[in-house]
Amino acid sequence: MSTGSLAAPSKQAPDELNPFHAMAQRFEIAADHLGLEPGLREVLRTPDREMTVAIPIVMDNKELRVFTGYRVQHNFSRGPCKGGIRYAPDVNLDEVRALAAWMTWKCSVVDIPFGGGKGGVICDPRELSQGELERITRRYTTGIMDILGPDRDVPAPDVNTNEQTMAWIMDTYSMHVRRTTTAIVTGKPLMIGGSRGRTEATGRGVMITCREALKKIGLRPENARVVVQGSGNVGGIAAMLMHREGYRIVSMSDMYGAVHRPEGLDVPAVLAHLRQHKRLDGYGGADHLANTEQLELDCDILIPAATENQITSKNAERIRAKLIVEGANGPTTVAADAILEQRGAVVVPDILANAGGVTVSYFEWVQDRAGFFWTEEVVNARLEQVMVSSFEEVDQMARRFGVSLRIGAYILAVGRVAKVYQLRGVYA
Amino acid sequence: MSLQEAARSFDDDLLPSSPPLDEETPFASMMSLFDEAAERLLIEPDAYAILRKPDREISVSVPVKLDDGMLGVFDGYRVQHNMGLGPFIGPLRLDPNLKLDELRALAGWMTWKCALLNVPFGGAAGGIRINKQRRSRGELERAVRRYVSTLLDVIGPDRDIFSPDKAADEEVMGWVMDTVSGHERYTANAVVTGKPTVLGGSRHHEDAVAHGLRVILGLALEHHGIGSIRNGARIVIQGVGSVGGSLARLLHADGHRIIALSDVHGALHDEQGLDVPALLEWRARHGSLRDAEGPFRRISNDELLTLPCDVLIPCAVANVITIRNAVQVQTKLLIEGAHGPVSARADRMLHERGVPVVPDILANAGGVVVNYFEWVQNRQGYTWLEGVVNTRLRRFMTEAWTAVAKVQAERKVRLRTAANMLAVQRVAAADKLRGIYA
Repeated sequence: MSTGSLAAPSKQAPDELNPFHAMAQRFEIAADHLGLEPGLREVLRTPDREMTVAIPIVMDNKELRVFTGYRVQHNFSRGPCKGGIRYAPDVNLDEVRALAAWMTWKCSVVDIPFGGGKGGVICDPRELSQGELERITRRYTTGIMDILGPDRDVPAPDVNTNEQTMAWIMDTYSMHVRRTTTAIVTGKPLMIGGSRGRTEATGRGVMITCREALKKIGLRPENARVVVQGSGNVGGIAAMLMHREGYRIVSMSDMYGAVHRPEGLDVPAVLAHLRQHKRLDGYGGADHLANTEQLELDCDILIPAATENQITSKNAERIRAKLIVEGANGPTTVAADAILEQRGAVVVPDILANAGGVTVSYFEWVQDRAGFFWTEEVVNARLEQVMVSSFEEVDQMARRFGVSLRIGAYILAVGRVAKVYQLRGVYA
Repeated sequence: MSLQEAARSFDDDLLPSSPPLDEETPFASMMSLFDEAAERLLIEPDAYAILRKPDREISVSVPVKLDDGMLGVFDGYRVQHNMGLGPFIGPLRLDPNLKLDELRALAGWMTWKCALLNVPFGGAAGGIRINKQRRSRGELERAVRRYVSTLLDVIGPDRDIFSPDKAADEEVMGWVMDTVSGHERYTANAVVTGKPTVLGGSRHHEDAVAHGLRVILGLALEHHGIGSIRNGARIVIQGVGSVGGSLARLLHADGHRIIALSDVHGALHDEQGLDVPALLEWRARHGSLRDAEGPFRRISNDELLTLPCDVLIPCAVANVITIRNAVQVQTKLLIEGAHGPVSARADRMLHERGVPVVPDILANAGGVVVNYFEWVQNRQGYTWLEGVVNTRLRRFMTEAWTAVAKVQAERKVRLRTAANMLAVQRVAAADKLRGIYA
């Protein structure tokens, strides 16, 4: 089995549009600030364990096909690994490695006791029946069973996997170990050990960190004009929650285009339209514009909550927002970071801003271990507490080192993992 | 039922953990209640077929060295009905007339009850066919320990949990916990509920059912539009044991008027309201209410059931309200504290007469909820204060009530049907989500 370095930016020219290179560059900057010695750096760059499994499946047409699945455990110093499982035709080991490392930093920023993991199966879910998907899930789970467990590695949903997939994993694992083991996976349906408040957790976390950042730049929600890119689980929910908090949401978008109304959108109406028509095109109460134009609108807060590489060296100079809260993973490139910083814009980085999801996943794991389930109010209150104190710690770190919030977050995250690694020591 | 049996049921510290069952075909008769619910829910017959059969049944032989040096061989069983929602939980019975089919019925009943209360367990039931009265304590202990050790592969805190039953007292539960812990080499106190507090028992274990009933009473009064009397209803309670007695004490303290109360020997009636604390104290000292003194009138148990009142709560034995007396029942609301106090035909008559009945599966579920709390506390290794147990019990009862009332309103069915539908729906949904393995 190959143990690849998760990213080695020194050996190849960093590609601005490769978010994993971006993550690796930011890691190196944080490591420099922390003065980490080369050996420890190498440890933190290298995944602790990688597993590749063959997944033979009898297809509905009786044909036997063999799929390939991966599980990468980047670093389990701080606790069991945590991270999603994705099903996609372009899944590859390098990407899974990078995503696993990303999870290590994210869990560390919000100080939940997990390391980072990630998994994936190379397959095209659009071409698979439910039965085939179920068989793939169960066989993949069985294949990686030896390294899974509530105290070892706890998967979660990711691209093209959902509550149902998690239910199959939970059932497969429980049948093998001969006991009900809900804590093996998070993102489960409520009735078999899921958590209340999980679906909206990422959007809620975005709303909370946005509010904390706003306090720092001395703006009040009712005076803040907000542009939200993306209207799914993150963008849509963040927009809704912020609308309720009194922010003026002036623009929202989906993958086909954006709507804009300077006086503020009727967010519930926009989301209702989206639910009904599946896209924003026909929405009547606002102007329509292209996604690229949306990002450059005159506003106070920009929330990129769609996909990666939205703010790059090409458009960063035209971004007018004072505050950017990254709901998506990797929406801002390294080159764009520098331009925004020069302009004095504040960026709340992805590993902090969208960590609400993994935080409530952690809550789900805690509830499963206890066998006792919290009310939605308790979940939300505890999420609030985690996000607020994490923001505060990142901000303090940024001030101490005189760096951006992003680098502050990486310093905090990498520093915590490094510290724990040193405390535990190198075994044998 | 013989008078002797009736007396035992009245005074027993624990409710029998089952609905009243048809002696010939207990499992089929219990399930018939839920077949209707499944039909109404339009659950596909093949999906429901899984629920009609226990997941697993284990029969074991339990050899015991008897005190006289001979070897006795007893039969032991454990039936595990459905694991969709989580580990199994169910009673451990010690009964010379133990029947496998009866255990199936009990296990199924537990599945539905847990699902209704949103307690993450499936249902089980088991026991040893042994006569507790005729065996020495040592023989009984050896039988229980051997039975438990034979079942080790299928029981455990995350597999199958034993809850108490009439004959399985605290000491028996202690043996079970000790045997499992010894084999597993850790303190597995979560494998058993109903333990003494020193072994990890929960607060309110003894009066959990009464606390649950009290919550349900408040909700039911509001629901049926008689919330104006929620602080001073005229209440009749049949039974004065751990359920009826505790309930009378709680409701009296809440300011309700308990106008009648009974034990196996007969009932006491006072329109002005009985002095409940004094009567309970008397009973604690003298063992019964037979010679209690006070300004009340003595009536029969039959008369008690037909007194005009706001709320009637039978907390004693099954089938006390039948076609013979259902027309004479004069209450605004009936809450089943006992298991199956209203016969199926009487239930229909009361419905036609417009008397709302809160079904046992919901009303007396406080015991199941606190059993679950005990398991949670054992997993956490942390004991909840009395107030915490109370608040959380209230939350579970209220959530279950609200969910049942919603189904009732949406589907325009009786509370009992709504409760059964909700239970079946939840178990079927969990099974569907988990899928069929391999």
